[in-house]
Amino acid sequence: MSEKNPAVNQDELFRFIDSDTISSEKIVAPRYSYWASVFRVFFRKKLNIVVLVILALILLISFVGPLIFPYDMMENVTNASTYNLSPAAAMSRFGGFSLKWLLGTGPMGNSIFYGVISSSRTSILLAVICAAINMTIGILVGALWGYSRSVDQVMLVVYNIIANVPYILLISVLVYIIGSGFWSFIFALTITGWLGIAYFFRTQVMIIRDREYSLASRCLGTPVTRVISKNILPFLTSVIVTLLATELPSYIGMEVFLSYIGVGLSASIPSLGRMIQQAQSAFMTYPWEFWPPVIVASAITIILYLLGQSLADASDPRTHM
Amino acid sequence: MSNEEKKVLLSIQNLDVVFGRGKKAFKAVDNVSFDIYKGETLSLVGESGSGKTTIGRAIMRINPCSAGAIYYDGKKISGKISKQEDRDVIRKIQMIFQDPAASLNERATIEYIISEGLYNFHLYKDEKDRIAKIEKIVEDVGLLPEHLTRYPHEFSGGQRQRVGMARSIVMEPEFIVADEPISALDVSIRAQVLNLLKKFQVEKGLTYLFIAHDLSIVRFISDRIVVIYKGRVMEIAEAEELFAYPLHPYTKSLISAIPVPDPIIEKKKKLFVYDPAKFHDYSKEQPQLVDIGNGHMVFGNTEEIERYKKIRNGEGA
Repeated sequence: MSEKNPAVNQDELFRFIDSDTISSEKIVAPRYSYWASVFRVFFRKKLNIVVLVILALILLISFVGPLIFPYDMMENVTNASTYNLSPAAAMSRFGGFSLKWLLGTGPMGNSIFYGVISSSRTSILLAVICAAINMTIGILVGALWGYSRSVDQVMLVVYNIIANVPYILLISVLVYIIGSGFWSFIFALTITGWLGIAYFFRTQVMIIRDREYSLASRCLGTPVTRVISKNILPFLTSVIVTLLATELPSYIGMEVFLSYIGVGLSASIPSLGRMIQQAQSAFMTYPWEFWPPVIVASAITIILYLLGQSLADASDPRTHM
Repeated sequence: MSNEEKKVLLSIQNLDVVFGRGKKAFKAVDNVSFDIYKGETLSLVGESGSGKTTIGRAIMRINPCSAGAIYYDGKKISGKISKQEDRDVIRKIQMIFQDPAASLNERATIEYIISEGLYNFHLYKDEKDRIAKIEKIVEDVGLLPEHLTRYPHEFSGGQRQRVGMARSIVMEPEFIVADEPISALDVSIRAQVLNLLKKFQVEKGLTYLFIAHDLSIVRFISDRIVVIYKGRVMEIAEAEELFAYPLHPYTKSLISAIPVPDPIIEKKKKLFVYDPAKFHDYSKEQPQLVDIGNGHMVFGNTEEIERYKKIRNGEGA
């Protein structure tokens, strides 16, 4: 035995150290926080940080920009010699280099550069407000719709009737009736827009409604509202974020498309869709009027989509390992 | 305890539970009647799909009764009842679930899971009182207050089942439906959970409906046993009576299926297989559940009952 061998240094041997199960229980697991883990996973990817910085820049320029570069699309409307000037022609016409004429002038002598900045603010604001309204109503109604069988019967009839009316047709009719201002356009986009989200959500809720822990909550007498907020919605966070990632850019696309076909926002409100529509007939002759709003609209859509997808991935707890 | 002293806590009378409608209708529970006395443990045994869990869930009012009624403490609790009574019954009757992994909300902390019932019925004076209550119950079930901030996936199966027990017992119920609480657990920790159930029964005077398919465990824990087969009650007797005199052939087959912890005996053991067509001839007379004395009830027709009585009284088989 080693104990009897004087050649072995006793201090170098392994010794048994008693384990204290209770204190090991106390220190073993760090606290798990869902949102902290979401952001840890999100910031692990370099691309996400780049995308976030670009988005911050876009937001800064489009919301602070109009204060520094006030856009007035009618300022040169009386002077026909300022119409459709290329950047170089506009700068020489208005006396030297200035940011304002960086992208030339539009069909009414308006500054394209200032116009794009003001328009992207309109588009982003529109997308955020529409997404917020539609998602909130859609999720709340969808949760109740999926949870309660009696609500389901009524809502299915409502859904079948309204969902069969073509969305574009409904919006164009509404815009004709109530006018094409900013808020009436939002009203038209949200009056039935939440229905599709609610329907999608209903299915998701139904899948997890009858799980055993929800049954256990019923046995404990938990009210429906808390079953929804504690047992169902936390499991759908990643679904909600994924949905947001596709909804948010889709409103920008929708505005551009509707303005392009002529039923969107009124001409007095600077919007990307309206700018594209005005320039599309002459985009070969005056390309500086057409491409800037197209590129900006695409960039905002792509950035929002990329960001949403990364957030959706990060909000899936299976990626938190 | 003599029969007069026993107080019926829960009474099931002619209970039917039917799933589906029309041609697809399936009768999971068929004309089941039995009483549960205050302070006892009544076990419900039978094979998979025999309707054990359905009866337990009918008591919890998760599955609606198609016919018959359930009375708790003399008051009817099945069908439509007033809101106040409903809340009362929810608080007094609690359930322990079979699968501790599925029955705990993965996105909630142990603290919330245990407090859920307390929140619903506001069973605490203030925040401090609530914390004190859940810390007490957590220690009672053998967990640590440090566990409260964790999530269910951080626990072992046995610990999760303790959480499940804690959340029921913190409500201070009178009656607990334990739906196969140990069948999802490792054999080595089953005894711990059973001991815990026994401990709470003694400390708090609880009454259990214990649903199981493992007769060897049922013998250890229960006062009386109800054997069911395809939604019908086959035999009701006190635990020792049932093991000493299993009368119905289905009970015999269940008892013969208990494994013997000796490979040589186990190998030689002949399994008793129950086949209703072979044992019963119900062409002349339909069977009924009949009391044959000694608190023993068996399902059979007149001829069978006479035979069972003879066997019970030792007059030869």
